[in-house]
Amino acid sequence: MDLEDLKDTFYRLVAPSLPNEWDVEEALAPLIDSETQHLEEIFAQIPAIWPVSHSLCFAYLSAAGPALSSLALDELSLWVHTLLDRYETGGLRSAQVFMADVESQFARPLRGQGGLRLIDVRPRLQPYVNGLAGRELPLIGAAEAATDTESIYLPGEIGLFTENDDNFLLYKLMVSFQWACLAGGVFDAPPAVRLHRKSAHPLDCYFSEFDRPDHARRLFHLLETGRILGFLRQELPGLMRQAALLLPRLPLSGDHASSPNVLDLLQRGLVREQWPKADHHLPPLVERAVALCHQCSDHATDNTLSLEAVRELMAMLQPEEDLAATSPLVFQGTLRLQEIRNLGMRQQADKALCLMQTMTARLPTVEAKQADGAEHHQAAATTHNQDAAVIIDADSAWEQLPPFMQSLSQRIDNRPPAEEPEQSLTSRPSPQVEPSVSAAEGKGGQAFAQFSKVRPGEGEGAVEPVVYDEWDYRRKGFRKNWCVVREKELPPAQNTFIEQTLKQYRGQIRRLRHQFELLQTGERFVRRQREGNDIDFDALVESLADNRAGRPPSDRVFIRLARDHRDIAVTFLVDMSNSTAGWVGQSIKESLVLICEAMEVLNDRYAIYGFSGMRRLRCEVFPVKRMDERYTGVVRQRISAIGPREYTRMAPAIRHMTSLFDQVEAKIRLLIVLSDGKPEDYDDYKGEYAIEDTRHALLEAKAKGIHPFCITIDRQAHEYMAHMYGEVNYIFIDKVNQLPARMPEIYRVLTS
Amino acid sequence: MAGRQMRIDEYRIEEEPYYLPTGDELTIAEAAYADGSPLLLKGPTGCGKTRFMQYLAWRLQRPLITVSCHDDLSTSDLVGRYLIRAGEAVWTDGPLTMAVRAGAICYLDEIVEARKDTTVVIHPLADDRRQLPIEKRGELLTAPAEFMLAVSYNPGYQSVLKDLKASTRQRFIALSFDYPDPDKEIEIVCQEGHLGIELAKPLVKLATMTRGLKDSGLAEGASTRLLIQTGKLIGRGIPVKAACRAAISEALTDDRELLAALDEMVSSLF
Repeated sequence: MDLEDLKDTFYRLVAPSLPNEWDVEEALAPLIDSETQHLEEIFAQIPAIWPVSHSLCFAYLSAAGPALSSLALDELSLWVHTLLDRYETGGLRSAQVFMADVESQFARPLRGQGGLRLIDVRPRLQPYVNGLAGRELPLIGAAEAATDTESIYLPGEIGLFTENDDNFLLYKLMVSFQWACLAGGVFDAPPAVRLHRKSAHPLDCYFSEFDRPDHARRLFHLLETGRILGFLRQELPGLMRQAALLLPRLPLSGDHASSPNVLDLLQRGLVREQWPKADHHLPPLVERAVALCHQCSDHATDNTLSLEAVRELMAMLQPEEDLAATSPLVFQGTLRLQEIRNLGMRQQADKALCLMQTMTARLPTVEAKQADGAEHHQAAATTHNQDAAVIIDADSAWEQLPPFMQSLSQRIDNRPPAEEPEQSLTSRPSPQVEPSVSAAEGKGGQAFAQFSKVRPGEGEGAVEPVVYDEWDYRRKGFRKNWCVVREKELPPAQNTFIEQTLKQYRGQIRRLRHQFELLQTGERFVRRQREGNDIDFDALVESLADNRAGRPPSDRVFIRLARDHRDIAVTFLVDMSNSTAGWVGQSIKESLVLICEAMEVLNDRYAIYGFSGMRRLRCEVFPVKRMDERYTGVVRQRISAIGPREYTRMAPAIRHMTSLFDQVEAKIRLLIVLSDGKPEDYDDYKGEYAIEDTRHALLEAKAKGIHPFCITIDRQAHEYMAHMYGEVNYIFIDKVNQLPARMPEIYRVLTS
Repeated sequence: MAGRQMRIDEYRIEEEPYYLPTGDELTIAEAAYADGSPLLLKGPTGCGKTRFMQYLAWRLQRPLITVSCHDDLSTSDLVGRYLIRAGEAVWTDGPLTMAVRAGAICYLDEIVEARKDTTVVIHPLADDRRQLPIEKRGELLTAPAEFMLAVSYNPGYQSVLKDLKASTRQRFIALSFDYPDPDKEIEIVCQEGHLGIELAKPLVKLATMTRGLKDSGLAEGASTRLLIQTGKLIGRGIPVKAACRAAISEALTDDRELLAALDEMVSSLF
């Protein structure tokens, strides 16, 4: 195939994009001589890569030819799948590294020839080390084993042994060893050390007192390793019994040295029990080091003995002796003293800040009587029971405070009459209020702005944005962390919509309420039971009469109170895309009012959310009524505020609802989606891709035990609907004005 | 009446149950008993709440009537009901009424499992009135000085549905239980599980490790009760690792990865 043909095919595959011809030629040039079969397979992957990244696609085209020399043809799609994962987690650079070395990055692990990888053992070892430490100690991939007291670093892969069981044991030993370093106090500061730099770890300061600090550090680490191995033998005897078979097989850097130094000899002793024989040929340094090492392993409970030993050994160390050639034992890893110090300082700073916050947030309680506005504000303060702040309006009160209280208080200038009405402070639903937020914040936010979260302004999300994956059907995998969903407040709208709706559907609402009341099966008496709370006198009389008449009497003479609890939680997810403008949106809103009115007679918990947005980084979800919120005037006003906004990227909203449902405990969890047509966004999110993603999001919801049901308002039914929603999980409404009547009906049928 | 007396005697605890006090719980409980105040025991499962009640009942020489609460427990189940016998309606006391009449200790285990409307029946009993109204008989029982009400619950179940009403909980003297200190726990496991200290020590260490796994998906760690059961299995000749697997790991979780991690802990310790 010549370059022109290749270009034609390429442009057809990436249409409607029109990439620079020069770039395309350069990327395709290496493929000219490839076999047709290979070319077909290589080109088949382009539709999956192109939408993710154009530069990645070009890089792929250059790398695919060489890659096929190490891969079988049918392995290419799996390779691309892994490549895309790499790209999304580590960016283009990581993807390029992955493509550059097909053999070790992909082919060998695929054929089971690689070592054991951290990601494979982490699920097992993470809880293990958490259990050991009694706290979360994340296991993080790094070049060498180490710890910074907050995490444990481990090599990304271990292939030292042919058997993966042995590699696993080594991982386990590494993890246990690093934990033991923390538990055994390896990093404790020496008692009397002069800090030459405040930011340096005290141990580093100790080592810097010697002329060769690095050597002192190495000696210390190895002596401590001996001590920690002893500690492990005591604490985890089972592990060390297994490790005793493994340790002698570890390769040591001193194995090939012509004249092993003192560290090499100690390492041999520690892991292979090959201690240098005590005779007169032994240099005094080695002899003393061995003795000290034994002392540390057997008797020391902290690092002081090792530190003293270092001082003694450093004095004996000849200037020509070089210890730098000895690499540390593989499970021992490196000492990350500086990182430990930095972390410690950061924690100290956080603690100080936290203390300051507590001091300032706990304003003293003072009876405020005189000032007019005082009660008002006090009410505001007491609504959030975690806030220990009291706001006093009167200027004189400040002077009345004793000096020490003044130092604990914040004087707040509350003159500017903020635009928001006073009641918004009290009427704010409590879940949105940060526990640490002071009651003073609404008025005197300035004073506290340095450390407490400022109340989000109108329209801003009260909740942190959440990131969700998106399903890409072309590669049969997820685009990792693809969509950003923000919860945004819907500013309540005050208009006559609610009143009009209530008036217009007066009769229907009454009927609905009655119908819904019938659904309410809270408690009822079941008669004629064998056991029960009370005697069923009708049954008893019958039974006695039967007995007299010589017929077998029934023993079902009790009444039982049966409680059929309707344990249902439902979320209505409402499409707020631009296409709902006009009658569709109006009907959706009306039906929401109707369903809310009807739902009030039921005890079912329900939530209403709207969704819209533009592009994957701005998917927006608007809480109209949260699950635990009551159906109040504000909720009604929010319903009337529902209006057409931007596009219909439905899946992220569904995924968000699914994750919200995780916090809800209910026997039946129902997600009702109200939409007016196909999912679609401003970018490439349309057609098959959008349908498949939505379908997948609904399947994910189902897998979590949520029943999704979709109500679609459209002029005509489409084939894709059954595929997207599932055969029986949707209903299609073509006459918009039917919706208000149909929706409560649908709900009734769904839940009874 | 004689029959009822007979029945209540069955609830007496004759032999001293093994209990190792971990703090001042016994002093407080006895003071509460002397004052006629009800007791609320809270703590994780298997940490010794029920055993404490048995021990207390033995010390006070009162019968102990235990009701395990569940969500279908009705007021009649506690207070009593009419039964039909030979064509006649006969009143039968429930466990609570029986305890009040006999001046026994009534212990409602896992009270949060019972529905809130059921637990309201204990309200007049649990304050200074110390009365139990039996509506169906039109009777108002006043509890004798010997009667004591005790309830327990596990605050670890973090469900909004499973919490005590403030009006209920604010009637009780509350004692918080937790797993004992390692030294005491070793002593308990040695004593109850019939184990030597060399096995009890790593068992307790294992339990401590599992209790640190809250963030890793284990709702509750191994209880002292589980350790004792493990000890008993080992005493019956089951190998240590198999006993730990059966009595601890498998009892704690179904999650395969957590099970593997627990196995790693066991293999590290033994």
